[in-house]
Amino acid sequence: MASSSGAEGESLDDYDSLIATTDVELLKRAWRNEKAAPEILRFESHLISRVKEQIQLMEETVEEKSSGGNDPLSVSLYQMDLDRTLFLLRSYLRIRIQKIEKYMFHILKTEELWNRLSKDEKDFARTCSSDLNQHLEETVLSKLPENYQSVLKQSIISEEDDMVPEPQLDTFVLCRSKEYLTGIQLEDGPADDRQFSSKLFEMERGVLHFICYKSIKALVESGKLDLL
Amino acid sequence: MYGRTACQLVKEFASGDKGQLVSFNSDLFQQVVAECSQHHLELQSLIRKIQEEGLDIQTARNADHYGALIHHLALVRNKRCLMAYVFNRAEIIRNLLWKIGHVLPQEIEEKLCHTEEEHFKKHSTALKSYMSKVMVDLTVDMVPPKDPYIKVRVLDDIGDGILLSDDKTANFACHSMHLLKRTDAEQFISRGQMEELTG
Amino acid sequence: MAGQSNHELSLFSAEELEFIAEDEIVDIVPNLKMGPLNFISGDFGPFTPQIVTQVPLWLAIALKKRGKCSIRPPLWMSVEKLSQVLEAERDSQEMSDQLPFHYVEISRLLFDHARDNIPDVYMVRSLIEDIRNVRFHKVETDLEAFNGRTIAVKIKNLSAMEVNIVRPFIGRALQAFYKHDSPELIPDPERVSDRRPQVVNNAPRRQLRR
Repeated sequence: MASSSGAEGESLDDYDSLIATTDVELLKRAWRNEKAAPEILRFESHLISRVKEQIQLMEETVEEKSSGGNDPLSVSLYQMDLDRTLFLLRSYLRIRIQKIEKYMFHILKTEELWNRLSKDEKDFARTCSSDLNQHLEETVLSKLPENYQSVLKQSIISEEDDMVPEPQLDTFVLCRSKEYLTGIQLEDGPADDRQFSSKLFEMERGVLHFICYKSIKALVESGKLDLL
Repeated sequence: MYGRTACQLVKEFASGDKGQLVSFNSDLFQQVVAECSQHHLELQSLIRKIQEEGLDIQTARNADHYGALIHHLALVRNKRCLMAYVFNRAEIIRNLLWKIGHVLPQEIEEKLCHTEEEHFKKHSTALKSYMSKVMVDLTVDMVPPKDPYIKVRVLDDIGDGILLSDDKTANFACHSMHLLKRTDAEQFISRGQMEELTG
Repeated sequence: MAGQSNHELSLFSAEELEFIAEDEIVDIVPNLKMGPLNFISGDFGPFTPQIVTQVPLWLAIALKKRGKCSIRPPLWMSVEKLSQVLEAERDSQEMSDQLPFHYVEISRLLFDHARDNIPDVYMVRSLIEDIRNVRFHKVETDLEAFNGRTIAVKIKNLSAMEVNIVRPFIGRALQAFYKHDSPELIPDPERVSDRRPQVVNNAPRRQLRR
């Protein structure tokens, strides 16, 4: 069976060729990565527009079939397939929106993150942060002495923005590699590490690892690793 | 002690059930705001005193300097507590959109202060505008979908000619088994007239 | 508060795990004739009575519920195979690699919806229960071996459900080790800038004291 971890290498190949090419499978991967990563990842714009197109086509097909009324069985099955894809799409978009809600100020001022958002997400983030800004100003900041009225800084003597909530990138995540990876730099590992003699770490294909997100961030972005 | 009231405010928030709101404590909140102004007055008067003594404010390290520093730090701490209180409440309030929807029930609305109500409405508008742009409703399908049809056994003689949502009629004789839309079956199941079958 | 809810984002609910497992491919024996189904998630069928075909588990269950097929349980779901696995699990501290990642969800779905297609279903069920218990005990023992030197953990052959159970624990424990064991990191000015969110950060030390 595809996911049986026995003879992992071989079955993964079969699995990939059988199913990884469908956009739903790619969406599922994007959904899992987005769900597991502490920070917002790059918006999968091409994938999402392809999936939306397919959903629309399928909605039309289901409509047609059900008005024909001669094959209720296959209509109900097509509907289930549609529902599953819609759930993935909604959940993917929703997790991103929730991350934006949580870290809007940080995303807004960090170019790298900002560029990961879709156009609509950018609009949302802009509106949201100006709303929250206004809320904080009216409720708290306008009532404080003038040197202490910044949303981003504790007071005017703060040199950097020291009031902005950020995602914790040193959180531990679970990941699985798609290929043999070597030379992973473990961030800030204790110097006398006994378990791994060097700070360079390797990962066999298909084996699960719990690891600090910061160390593998780049591998997630380049698509070499999947989060679970 | 400086900062105690602010700490109380944050504690009150933190001790509540996760995701649950208690009423905005404007009494405590105002006390902390007043403390902030008081610290600021003390801070300014100490700075004036240092200046009047002809000392350089940047380099002076006398008792007045440290006194001023303490008032500054106490003020910053109070600010952070006030912000934490409002910021975290705002997060819960925004999450209500996902849990409850765009209209808040009275008993929750009563717990919000005026600006929080405004914030909820504005955020609701922002979210609606996003959803209409992407043409996907994100407030449904919070859990993965299941087969809309379930297998049921009729436990009671419900009778025939029952109209279902797909405009068909069914005959629910006692002990008969059917494949029904979950939404159609639920009313009968809750009345104990049907049971869901697995296996 | 803010830090903790990160976990919420990263956790898969039991329903979501089941949803993922429902995409696993199984063999079915249809008893109806039906043309191919060209789904968004892939093409399945055509369906011919008595001719084995492969479909995702959710489709297999939907057809089964409608009385249109029987499901062939996967090879590992036999008394013989599971007895071997149980023995292997008991003999070694290593986790056996004989079961699929979603064995818990797959077997539960099949017990719920295709009991009559599983030979020796009671025996199979109790074997899987035993295997789960043995494996879980091993996971616990493995966790005890963690220490402050652990900065990445390789977990061979842990299943989806087991991962989900230990995830919050491992995540938090490793994080705590990581912080406690690296005191030299605290004065590092570089790290000051990427400290935890400050607005919401008034009681972060408390977490560490536990």
